[in-house]
Amino acid sequence: MSMGINFIYGIMKVINWSMGEFFMIGAFVQYILLTSFLGATYWYVGVVISALIVFFLGALVQRLLIKPMFVGIIEAKMEYATIVTIAMAIFLRNLAVLIGGPYIYTPPDYAGPTQILTLPISGNRLVALIGALFLLALFYYFIKKSWTGKAFQGVAQNRSGVQTAGVNVLKYDMLAFGIGTALAGAGGALLAPIFLVHPMCGLVPTVRGFEIIVIAGLGSIPGILVAGLTLGIAESLGSAFINPSFVDIYGFILLVIILSIKPYGLFGKAEREV
Amino acid sequence: MSMLSIENVTAGYVEEIDILRDVSLEVKEGAITGIIGANGAGKSTVLKTIFGFLHPRQGKIKFQGREIQNNLPYQMKEMGISYMLQEHSTFHDLSINDNLLLGAWTFRQDKKRVNRRMEEIYNFFPVLSERKAEKAGYLSGGLLRMLSVGKEIMSEPTLLMIDEPSVGLQPNIVTEIYDLLIKIAQQGTTILIVDQNIMKALEVSDYMYMLDMGEVKQGGPKEDFEEDIREMIKVSLMAE
Repeated sequence: MSMGINFIYGIMKVINWSMGEFFMIGAFVQYILLTSFLGATYWYVGVVISALIVFFLGALVQRLLIKPMFVGIIEAKMEYATIVTIAMAIFLRNLAVLIGGPYIYTPPDYAGPTQILTLPISGNRLVALIGALFLLALFYYFIKKSWTGKAFQGVAQNRSGVQTAGVNVLKYDMLAFGIGTALAGAGGALLAPIFLVHPMCGLVPTVRGFEIIVIAGLGSIPGILVAGLTLGIAESLGSAFINPSFVDIYGFILLVIILSIKPYGLFGKAEREV
Repeated sequence: MSMLSIENVTAGYVEEIDILRDVSLEVKEGAITGIIGANGAGKSTVLKTIFGFLHPRQGKIKFQGREIQNNLPYQMKEMGISYMLQEHSTFHDLSINDNLLLGAWTFRQDKKRVNRRMEEIYNFFPVLSERKAEKAGYLSGGLLRMLSVGKEIMSEPTLLMIDEPSVGLQPNIVTEIYDLLIKIAQQGTTILIVDQNIMKALEVSDYMYMLDMGEVKQGGPKEDFEEDIREMIKVSLMAE
Protein backbone atom coordinates (compact mmCIF):
# COMPACT_ATOMS: atom_id res chain seq x y z
CA MET A 1 0.00 0.00 0.00
CA SER A 2 2.66 2.44 1.08
CA MET A 3 4.78 1.26 -1.81
CA GLY A 4 2.03 2.14 -4.24
CA ILE A 5 1.48 5.65 -2.90
CA ASN A 6 5.21 6.22 -2.75
CA PHE A 7 5.81 4.95 -6.26
CA ILE A 8 3.13 7.10 -7.87
CA TYR A 9 4.35 10.13 -5.95
CA GLY A 10 7.93 9.45 -7.00
CA ILE A 11 7.07 9.26 -10.67
CA MET A 12 4.37 11.85 -11.12
CA LYS A 13 4.83 14.01 -8.02
CA VAL A 14 1.17 13.42 -7.38
CA ILE A 15 -0.39 11.80 -4.33
CA ASN A 16 -3.20 9.42 -5.11
CA TRP A 17 -5.77 9.84 -2.38
CA SER A 18 -8.00 7.12 -3.76
CA MET A 19 -5.50 4.34 -3.04
CA GLY A 20 -7.74 2.97 -0.28
CA GLU A 21 -10.54 2.56 -2.80
CA PHE A 22 -8.30 0.61 -5.17
CA PHE A 23 -7.42 -1.52 -2.15
CA MET A 24 -11.15 -2.00 -1.56
CA ILE A 25 -11.72 -2.93 -5.21
CA GLY A 26 -8.91 -5.49 -4.95
CA ALA A 27 -10.60 -6.96 -1.89
CA PHE A 28 -14.02 -7.10 -3.60
CA VAL A 29 -12.62 -8.69 -6.75
CA GLN A 30 -10.81 -11.26 -4.63
CA TYR A 31 -13.99 -12.02 -2.68
CA ILE A 32 -16.03 -12.53 -5.84
CA LEU A 33 -13.29 -14.66 -7.40
CA LEU A 34 -12.94 -16.90 -4.35
CA THR A 35 -16.64 -17.40 -3.64
CA SER A 36 -17.88 -17.79 -7.23
CA PHE A 37 -15.01 -19.09 -9.37
CA LEU A 38 -11.81 -20.22 -7.76
CA GLY A 39 -12.59 -21.50 -4.28
CA ALA A 40 -10.43 -20.85 -1.22
CA THR A 41 -7.52 -23.08 -2.22
CA TYR A 42 -6.56 -20.90 -5.17
CA TRP A 43 -6.45 -17.64 -3.25
CA TYR A 44 -3.00 -16.81 -4.68
CA VAL A 45 -4.37 -16.96 -8.23
CA GLY A 46 -7.07 -14.59 -7.04
CA VAL A 47 -4.47 -12.14 -5.73
CA VAL A 48 -2.74 -12.05 -9.11
CA ILE A 49 -6.01 -11.59 -11.02
CA SER A 50 -7.21 -8.88 -8.61
CA ALA A 51 -3.92 -7.03 -8.98
CA LEU A 52 -4.17 -7.25 -12.77
CA ILE A 53 -7.74 -5.98 -12.85
CA VAL A 54 -6.87 -3.08 -10.54
CA PHE A 55 -3.81 -2.34 -12.69
CA PHE A 56 -5.97 -1.84 -15.78
CA LEU A 57 -8.52 0.15 -13.83
CA GLY A 58 -5.80 2.41 -12.39
CA ALA A 59 -4.20 2.90 -15.80
CA LEU A 60 -7.60 3.79 -17.24
CA VAL A 61 -8.28 6.33 -14.49
CA GLN A 62 -4.87 7.89 -15.07
CA ARG A 63 -5.46 8.02 -18.81
CA LEU A 64 -8.87 9.66 -18.53
CA LEU A 65 -8.52 11.91 -15.49
CA ILE A 66 -4.89 12.55 -14.59
CA LYS A 67 -3.08 12.55 -17.92
CA PRO A 68 -4.78 15.62 -19.38
CA MET A 69 -3.03 17.87 -16.88
CA PHE A 70 0.42 16.61 -17.89
CA VAL A 71 -0.09 17.51 -21.52
CA GLY A 72 0.78 21.11 -22.14
CA ILE A 73 1.92 23.41 -19.41
CA ILE A 74 -0.55 23.69 -16.57
CA GLU A 75 0.26 25.03 -13.17
CA ALA A 76 -1.04 23.63 -9.88
CA LYS A 77 -0.94 19.97 -10.97
CA MET A 78 -0.80 18.86 -7.38
CA GLU A 79 -4.01 20.65 -6.44
CA TYR A 80 -5.78 19.32 -9.49
CA ALA A 81 -4.66 15.75 -8.74
CA THR A 82 -5.69 16.07 -5.11
CA ILE A 83 -9.20 17.10 -6.03
CA VAL A 84 -9.52 14.49 -8.77
CA THR A 85 -8.30 11.61 -6.62
CA ILE A 86 -10.37 12.60 -3.59
CA ALA A 87 -13.42 12.81 -5.83
CA MET A 88 -12.48 9.39 -7.21
CA ALA A 89 -12.33 8.02 -3.67
CA ILE A 90 -15.81 9.26 -2.77
CA PHE A 91 -17.21 8.07 -6.08
CA LEU A 92 -15.73 4.57 -5.82
CA ARG A 93 -16.78 4.16 -2.20
CA ASN A 94 -20.37 5.05 -3.01
CA LEU A 95 -20.31 2.91 -6.11
CA ALA A 96 -19.31 0.01 -3.89
CA VAL A 97 -22.25 0.70 -1.56
CA LEU A 98 -24.54 0.85 -4.57
CA ILE A 99 -23.34 -2.46 -5.97
CA GLY A 100 -22.52 -4.47 -2.86
CA GLY A 101 -24.76 -2.81 -0.31
CA PRO A 102 -23.60 -1.71 3.14
CA TYR A 103 -22.70 -5.26 4.13
CA ILE A 104 -19.51 -6.77 5.39
CA TYR A 105 -18.45 -9.84 3.43
CA THR A 106 -16.15 -12.46 4.89
CA PRO A 107 -13.95 -14.30 2.43
CA PRO A 108 -12.79 -17.84 3.24
CA ASP A 109 -9.56 -18.25 5.20
CA TYR A 110 -6.40 -18.63 3.14
CA ALA A 111 -4.75 -20.88 5.71
CA GLY A 112 -5.62 -22.28 9.12
CA PRO A 113 -3.96 -21.14 12.33
CA THR A 114 -0.36 -22.24 12.53
CA GLN A 115 2.48 -22.07 14.95
CA ILE A 116 5.98 -20.70 14.41
CA LEU A 117 8.08 -22.44 17.07
CA THR A 118 6.10 -21.54 20.17
CA LEU A 119 4.26 -18.58 18.69
CA PRO A 120 0.72 -19.24 17.52
CA ILE A 121 -0.24 -17.09 14.56
CA SER A 122 -3.32 -16.78 12.37
CA GLY A 123 -2.73 -18.37 8.99
CA ASN A 124 -4.20 -15.36 7.22
CA ARG A 125 -1.74 -12.99 8.82
CA LEU A 126 1.19 -15.23 7.98
CA VAL A 127 0.03 -15.40 4.37
CA ALA A 128 -0.37 -11.62 4.26
CA LEU A 129 3.11 -11.12 5.71
CA ILE A 130 4.79 -13.50 3.29
CA GLY A 131 2.77 -12.15 0.37
CA ALA A 132 3.66 -8.54 1.20
CA LEU A 133 7.35 -9.37 1.57
CA PHE A 134 7.26 -11.23 -1.73
CA LEU A 135 5.61 -8.26 -3.46
CA LEU A 136 8.15 -5.84 -1.99
CA ALA A 137 11.06 -8.01 -3.10
CA LEU A 138 9.61 -8.45 -6.57
CA PHE A 139 9.01 -4.72 -6.90
CA TYR A 140 12.50 -3.86 -5.64
CA TYR A 141 14.10 -6.26 -8.09
CA PHE A 142 11.99 -4.93 -10.96
CA ILE A 143 12.94 -1.31 -10.21
CA LYS A 144 16.65 -1.97 -9.74
CA LYS A 145 17.33 -4.48 -12.47
CA SER A 146 14.99 -4.10 -15.44
CA TRP A 147 15.18 -1.51 -18.21
CA THR A 148 11.67 -0.40 -17.36
CA GLY A 149 12.64 -0.05 -13.71
CA LYS A 150 15.62 2.10 -14.66
CA ALA A 151 13.38 4.27 -16.78
CA PHE A 152 11.07 4.67 -13.78
CA GLN A 153 14.01 5.75 -11.63
CA GLY A 154 14.99 8.15 -14.38
CA VAL A 155 11.51 9.66 -14.55
CA ALA A 156 11.49 10.09 -10.77
CA GLN A 157 14.89 11.79 -10.68
CA ASN A 158 14.90 13.98 -13.75
CA ARG A 159 11.82 14.28 -15.92
CA SER A 160 13.46 16.34 -18.67
CA GLY A 161 16.61 14.25 -18.60
CA VAL A 162 14.73 11.04 -19.17
CA GLN A 163 12.89 12.59 -22.10
CA THR A 164 16.13 13.51 -23.80
CA ALA A 165 17.05 9.84 -23.42
CA GLY A 166 14.00 9.01 -25.50
CA VAL A 167 11.62 7.69 -22.84
CA ASN A 168 7.95 8.41 -23.50
CA VAL A 169 7.13 9.86 -20.07
CA LEU A 170 3.39 10.03 -20.62
CA LYS A 171 3.28 6.28 -21.18
CA TYR A 172 5.37 5.66 -18.08
CA ASP A 173 3.14 7.91 -16.00
CA MET A 174 0.23 5.69 -16.92
CA LEU A 175 2.17 2.51 -16.21
CA ALA A 176 3.32 3.89 -12.85
CA PHE A 177 -0.21 4.76 -11.86
CA GLY A 178 -1.37 1.30 -12.90
CA ILE A 179 1.43 -0.46 -11.01
CA GLY A 180 0.90 1.69 -7.93
CA THR A 181 -2.80 0.97 -7.79
CA ALA A 182 -2.14 -2.71 -8.58
CA LEU A 183 0.05 -2.88 -5.48
CA ALA A 184 -2.89 -1.51 -3.49
CA GLY A 185 -5.22 -3.99 -5.17
CA ALA A 186 -2.91 -6.90 -4.37
CA GLY A 187 -2.77 -5.63 -0.79
CA GLY A 188 -6.56 -5.57 -0.65
CA ALA A 189 -6.76 -9.12 -1.96
CA LEU A 190 -4.08 -10.38 0.44
CA LEU A 191 -5.61 -8.71 3.48
CA ALA A 192 -9.25 -9.46 2.61
CA PRO A 193 -9.71 -12.17 5.30
CA ILE A 194 -8.20 -9.87 7.94
CA PHE A 195 -9.80 -6.50 7.23
CA LEU A 196 -12.88 -8.17 5.67
CA VAL A 197 -14.57 -6.82 2.57
CA HIS A 198 -16.82 -3.77 2.68
CA PRO A 199 -16.99 -0.35 1.03
CA MET A 200 -14.93 1.34 3.75
CA CYS A 201 -12.32 -1.38 4.14
CA GLY A 202 -9.66 0.68 2.41
CA LEU A 203 -9.76 3.46 4.97
CA VAL A 204 -7.63 2.04 7.76
CA PRO A 205 -4.94 0.68 5.40
CA THR A 206 -4.75 4.09 3.68
CA VAL A 207 -4.19 5.87 6.97
CA ARG A 208 -1.57 3.27 7.90
CA GLY A 209 -0.02 3.62 4.47
CA PHE A 210 0.42 7.36 4.85
CA GLU A 211 1.69 6.96 8.41
CA ILE A 212 4.33 4.53 7.18
CA ILE A 213 5.37 6.85 4.37
CA VAL A 214 5.71 9.84 6.66
CA ILE A 215 7.72 7.81 9.16
CA ALA A 216 9.92 6.35 6.42
CA GLY A 217 10.35 9.56 4.47
CA LEU A 218 8.96 10.00 0.96
CA GLY A 219 10.77 8.05 -1.70
CA SER A 220 12.57 5.39 0.31
CA ILE A 221 11.84 1.73 -0.38
CA PRO A 222 13.89 0.11 2.44
CA GLY A 223 12.48 2.82 4.71
CA ILE A 224 8.98 1.44 4.16
CA LEU A 225 9.96 -1.96 5.56
CA VAL A 226 11.56 -0.49 8.64
CA ALA A 227 8.74 2.01 9.21
CA GLY A 228 6.11 -0.68 8.74
CA LEU A 229 7.78 -2.90 11.32
CA THR A 230 8.28 -0.02 13.74
CA LEU A 231 4.64 0.97 13.44
CA GLY A 232 3.51 -2.62 14.00
CA ILE A 233 5.71 -3.01 17.06
CA ALA A 234 4.56 0.31 18.51
CA GLU A 235 0.93 -0.70 18.09
CA SER A 236 1.44 -4.15 19.61
CA LEU A 237 3.41 -2.87 22.57
CA GLY A 238 0.89 -0.11 23.12
CA SER A 239 -2.05 -2.49 23.12
CA ALA A 240 -0.24 -5.00 25.35
CA PHE A 241 1.03 -2.58 27.97
CA ILE A 242 -1.34 0.38 27.87
CA ASN A 243 -4.77 -0.29 26.45
CA PRO A 244 -5.79 -2.24 23.34
CA SER A 245 -8.77 0.03 22.60
CA PHE A 246 -6.51 2.85 21.46
CA VAL A 247 -4.51 0.79 18.99
CA ASP A 248 -4.72 3.38 16.19
CA ILE A 249 -3.39 6.16 18.39
CA TYR A 250 0.00 4.59 19.15
CA GLY A 251 1.03 4.87 15.54
CA PHE A 252 0.27 8.57 15.49
CA ILE A 253 2.17 9.14 18.73
CA LEU A 254 5.16 7.40 17.15
CA LEU A 255 4.72 9.56 14.07
CA VAL A 256 4.75 12.78 16.08
CA ILE A 257 7.85 11.68 18.00
CA ILE A 258 9.75 10.73 14.86
CA LEU A 259 8.78 13.88 13.00
CA SER A 260 9.91 16.07 15.89
CA ILE A 261 13.31 14.40 15.84
CA LYS A 262 13.73 13.78 12.09
CA PRO A 263 11.43 16.07 10.11
CA TYR A 264 12.15 14.29 6.80
CA GLY A 265 11.30 10.88 8.22
CA LEU A 266 13.72 8.11 9.06
CA PHE A 267 15.13 7.68 5.56
CA GLY A 268 13.89 10.76 3.75
CA LYS A 269 16.23 13.19 2.09
CA ALA A 270 16.00 16.92 2.36
CA GLU A 271 14.65 18.41 -0.86
CA ARG A 272 17.54 19.74 -2.83
CA GLU A 273 17.25 22.75 -5.06
CA VAL A 274 19.83 23.04 -7.79
CA MET B 1 22.38 20.39 -47.57
CA SER B 2 20.24 21.58 -44.75
CA MET B 3 19.46 18.93 -42.16
CA LEU B 4 17.15 20.99 -40.02
CA SER B 5 15.21 24.07 -40.94
CA ILE B 6 13.03 26.28 -38.85
CA GLU B 7 10.58 28.33 -40.84
CA ASN B 8 8.89 31.39 -39.35
CA VAL B 9 8.39 29.83 -35.94
CA THR B 10 6.54 31.66 -33.21
CA ALA B 11 6.45 30.00 -29.79
CA GLY B 12 6.05 30.71 -26.10
CA TYR B 13 5.29 29.09 -22.75
CA VAL B 14 2.26 31.10 -21.74
CA GLU B 15 -0.61 32.15 -23.90
CA GLU B 16 -0.22 35.47 -25.67
CA ILE B 17 3.41 35.87 -24.65
CA ASP B 18 5.70 34.98 -27.54
CA ILE B 19 9.27 34.13 -26.64
CA LEU B 20 10.24 33.43 -30.25
CA ARG B 21 8.90 35.69 -32.96
CA ASP B 22 9.01 34.60 -36.55
CA VAL B 23 12.32 32.82 -36.17
CA SER B 24 13.85 31.16 -39.23
CA LEU B 25 17.15 29.35 -39.26
CA GLU B 26 18.93 26.46 -40.89
CA VAL B 27 21.34 23.79 -39.72
CA LYS B 28 23.61 22.42 -42.44
CA GLU B 29 24.59 18.79 -42.44
CA GLY B 30 28.03 18.03 -41.03
CA ALA B 31 28.59 21.56 -39.74
CA ILE B 32 28.57 23.20 -36.35
CA THR B 33 25.94 25.90 -36.08
CA GLY B 34 26.04 28.31 -33.18
CA ILE B 35 23.27 30.44 -31.73
CA ILE B 36 24.35 33.37 -29.63
CA GLY B 37 22.56 36.15 -27.87
CA ALA B 38 22.06 37.75 -24.48
CA ASN B 39 20.26 36.30 -21.51
CA GLY B 40 16.58 35.90 -22.27
CA ALA B 41 17.02 36.25 -26.02
CA GLY B 42 15.25 32.93 -26.54
CA LYS B 43 18.26 30.75 -27.38
CA SER B 44 17.27 27.85 -25.15
CA THR B 45 13.67 28.17 -26.25
CA VAL B 46 14.75 27.50 -29.83
CA LEU B 47 16.22 24.16 -28.78
CA LYS B 48 13.23 23.28 -26.60
CA THR B 49 10.91 24.01 -29.50
CA ILE B 50 12.94 21.87 -31.90
CA PHE B 51 12.96 18.92 -29.47
CA GLY B 52 9.21 19.08 -28.86
CA PHE B 53 9.21 20.21 -25.25
CA LEU B 54 7.34 23.18 -26.62
CA HIS B 55 5.20 23.25 -29.74
CA PRO B 56 5.28 26.28 -32.01
CA ARG B 57 2.13 28.35 -32.35
CA GLN B 58 3.02 29.12 -35.93
CA GLY B 59 5.57 27.99 -38.44
CA LYS B 60 7.21 24.73 -39.42
CA ILE B 61 10.20 22.74 -38.29
CA LYS B 62 11.65 20.26 -40.77
CA PHE B 63 14.21 17.57 -40.04
CA GLN B 64 15.62 15.76 -43.08
CA GLY B 65 12.67 17.02 -45.07
CA ARG B 66 9.99 15.78 -42.64
CA GLU B 67 7.80 18.13 -40.65
CA ILE B 68 8.37 17.53 -36.95
CA GLN B 69 6.78 20.49 -35.17
CA ASN B 70 4.07 18.32 -33.60
CA ASN B 71 6.31 15.47 -32.46
CA LEU B 72 6.98 14.62 -28.82
CA PRO B 73 10.51 14.47 -27.36
CA TYR B 74 10.79 10.68 -27.45
CA GLN B 75 9.90 10.69 -31.15
CA MET B 76 12.65 13.24 -31.83
CA LYS B 77 15.11 10.96 -30.11
CA GLU B 78 13.99 8.03 -32.25
CA MET B 79 14.55 10.16 -35.35
CA GLY B 80 18.15 10.74 -34.36
CA ILE B 81 18.13 14.07 -32.55
CA SER B 82 19.84 14.33 -29.18
CA TYR B 83 19.50 17.27 -26.85
CA MET B 84 21.82 18.12 -24.00
CA LEU B 85 19.92 20.31 -21.57
CA GLN B 86 21.36 23.36 -19.93
CA GLU B 87 20.39 22.03 -16.52
CA HIS B 88 21.83 18.58 -15.85
CA SER B 89 20.22 15.87 -17.89
CA THR B 90 21.70 13.15 -15.69
CA PHE B 91 20.21 11.11 -12.84
CA HIS B 92 21.87 11.86 -9.51
CA ASP B 93 20.82 8.67 -7.73
CA LEU B 94 21.86 6.30 -10.51
CA SER B 95 25.39 5.06 -11.14
CA ILE B 96 27.42 6.46 -14.03
CA ASN B 97 26.94 3.15 -15.78
CA ASP B 98 23.14 3.29 -15.45
CA ASN B 99 23.11 6.92 -16.58
CA LEU B 100 24.85 5.95 -19.79
CA LEU B 101 22.62 2.89 -20.19
CA LEU B 102 19.54 5.11 -20.13
CA GLY B 103 21.15 7.01 -23.01
CA ALA B 104 20.82 3.75 -24.96
CA TRP B 105 17.10 3.55 -24.24
CA THR B 106 15.98 3.80 -27.87
CA PHE B 107 17.95 0.70 -28.90
CA ARG B 108 17.80 -1.24 -25.61
CA GLN B 109 16.66 -4.42 -27.39
CA ASP B 110 19.91 -4.55 -29.32
CA LYS B 111 22.26 -5.89 -26.65
CA LYS B 112 25.29 -6.03 -28.91
CA ARG B 113 24.95 -2.40 -29.93
CA VAL B 114 24.44 -1.33 -26.31
CA ASN B 115 27.63 -3.09 -25.23
CA ARG B 116 29.58 -1.72 -28.18
CA ARG B 117 28.45 1.83 -27.50
CA MET B 118 29.19 1.55 -23.78
CA GLU B 119 32.72 0.50 -24.60
CA GLU B 120 33.15 3.30 -27.12
CA ILE B 121 31.86 5.91 -24.70
CA TYR B 122 34.17 4.68 -21.96
CA ASN B 123 37.09 4.87 -24.38
CA PHE B 124 36.02 8.38 -25.28
CA PHE B 125 35.76 9.41 -21.59
CA PRO B 126 38.38 7.39 -19.68
CA VAL B 127 37.63 9.38 -16.50
CA LEU B 128 34.10 8.05 -16.44
CA SER B 129 35.15 4.44 -16.89
CA GLU B 130 37.27 4.64 -13.75
CA ARG B 131 34.20 5.61 -11.71
CA LYS B 132 31.50 3.47 -13.35
CA ALA B 133 29.78 2.36 -10.15
CA GLU B 134 29.73 5.78 -8.50
CA LYS B 135 26.49 7.71 -8.30
CA ALA B 136 26.25 10.66 -10.66
CA GLY B 137 25.31 12.90 -7.73
CA TYR B 138 28.89 12.68 -6.45
CA LEU B 139 30.49 14.00 -9.64
CA SER B 140 31.91 17.49 -10.09
CA GLY B 141 30.25 19.97 -12.45
CA GLY B 142 32.72 19.29 -15.27
CA LEU B 143 32.41 15.53 -15.03
CA LEU B 144 28.63 15.79 -14.89
CA ARG B 145 28.72 17.78 -18.12
CA MET B 146 30.86 15.05 -19.66
CA LEU B 147 28.43 12.42 -18.44
CA SER B 148 25.60 14.39 -20.04
CA VAL B 149 27.48 14.51 -23.33
CA GLY B 150 28.19 10.79 -23.04
CA LYS B 151 24.58 9.97 -22.33
CA GLU B 152 23.36 12.01 -25.30
CA ILE B 153 25.83 10.64 -27.84
CA MET B 154 25.19 7.02 -26.76
CA SER B 155 22.50 6.86 -29.42
CA GLU B 156 24.87 8.03 -32.20
CA PRO B 157 22.62 10.97 -33.10
CA THR B 158 22.66 12.59 -36.52
CA LEU B 159 21.99 15.94 -34.88
CA LEU B 160 23.27 16.88 -31.44
CA MET B 161 21.84 20.00 -29.82
CA ILE B 162 23.74 21.44 -26.89
CA ASP B 163 22.52 24.12 -24.54
CA GLU B 164 25.19 26.21 -22.80
CA PRO B 165 27.98 23.66 -22.46
CA SER B 166 30.28 26.14 -20.78
CA VAL B 167 28.03 27.67 -18.16
CA GLY B 168 29.34 27.41 -14.60
CA LEU B 169 32.58 25.67 -15.49
CA GLN B 170 36.15 26.79 -14.97
CA PRO B 171 37.96 27.89 -18.17
CA ASN B 172 40.24 24.87 -18.63
CA ILE B 173 37.27 22.52 -18.37
CA VAL B 174 35.33 24.65 -20.85
CA THR B 175 38.20 24.15 -23.29
CA GLU B 176 38.13 20.42 -22.60
CA ILE B 177 34.39 20.22 -23.29
CA TYR B 178 34.73 22.20 -26.50
CA ASP B 179 37.57 19.95 -27.64
CA LEU B 180 35.24 17.01 -27.08
CA LEU B 181 32.53 18.65 -29.16
CA ILE B 182 34.94 19.24 -32.02
CA LYS B 183 35.94 15.58 -31.82
CA ILE B 184 32.29 14.53 -31.94
CA ALA B 185 31.70 16.79 -34.94
CA GLN B 186 34.69 15.28 -36.71
CA GLN B 187 33.08 11.87 -36.34
CA GLY B 188 30.28 13.14 -38.53
CA THR B 189 27.68 14.42 -36.08
CA THR B 190 25.97 17.66 -36.96
CA ILE B 191 25.92 20.02 -34.01
CA LEU B 192 23.65 22.89 -33.04
CA ILE B 193 25.06 24.77 -30.09
CA VAL B 194 23.71 27.55 -27.92
CA ASP B 195 26.15 29.47 -25.82
CA GLN B 196 26.53 32.75 -24.03
CA ASN B 197 30.26 32.36 -24.33
CA ILE B 198 30.42 34.13 -27.67
CA MET B 199 34.15 33.72 -28.21
CA LYS B 200 34.03 29.96 -27.70
CA ALA B 201 30.96 29.55 -29.85
CA LEU B 202 32.55 31.62 -32.59
CA GLU B 203 35.74 29.59 -32.43
CA VAL B 204 34.09 26.28 -33.19
CA SER B 205 31.07 27.21 -35.30
CA ASP B 206 30.86 27.18 -39.08
CA TYR B 207 27.55 29.04 -39.16
CA MET B 208 26.18 31.50 -36.65
CA TYR B 209 22.88 33.08 -35.73
CA MET B 210 22.37 35.93 -33.38
CA LEU B 211 19.11 36.14 -31.46
CA ASP B 212 17.80 39.21 -29.75
CA MET B 213 14.45 39.49 -27.99
CA GLY B 214 13.20 36.36 -29.71
CA GLU B 215 14.10 37.46 -33.21
CA VAL B 216 16.95 36.50 -35.49
CA LYS B 217 19.08 39.63 -35.87
CA GLN B 218 21.69 38.15 -38.12
CA GLY B 219 22.67 34.80 -39.52
CA GLY B 220 24.97 33.07 -41.96
CA PRO B 221 28.47 31.67 -42.43
CA LYS B 222 30.92 32.64 -39.74
CA GLU B 223 33.12 34.68 -42.10
CA ASP B 224 30.32 37.15 -42.69
CA PHE B 225 30.21 37.71 -38.98
CA GLU B 226 33.82 38.49 -38.24
CA GLU B 227 33.39 42.22 -38.81
CA ASP B 228 30.33 42.45 -36.65
CA ILE B 229 31.70 40.52 -33.73
CA ARG B 230 33.04 43.53 -31.95
CA GLU B 231 29.67 45.15 -32.27
CA MET B 232 27.88 41.99 -31.15
CA ILE B 233 29.97 41.62 -28.03
CA LYS B 234 29.31 45.23 -27.19
CA VAL B 235 25.58 44.72 -27.67
CA SER B 236 25.49 41.58 -25.59
CA LEU B 237 27.56 43.12 -22.81
CA MET B 238 25.27 46.08 -22.68
CA ALA B 239 22.23 43.82 -22.61
CA GLU B 240 23.59 42.03 -19.57
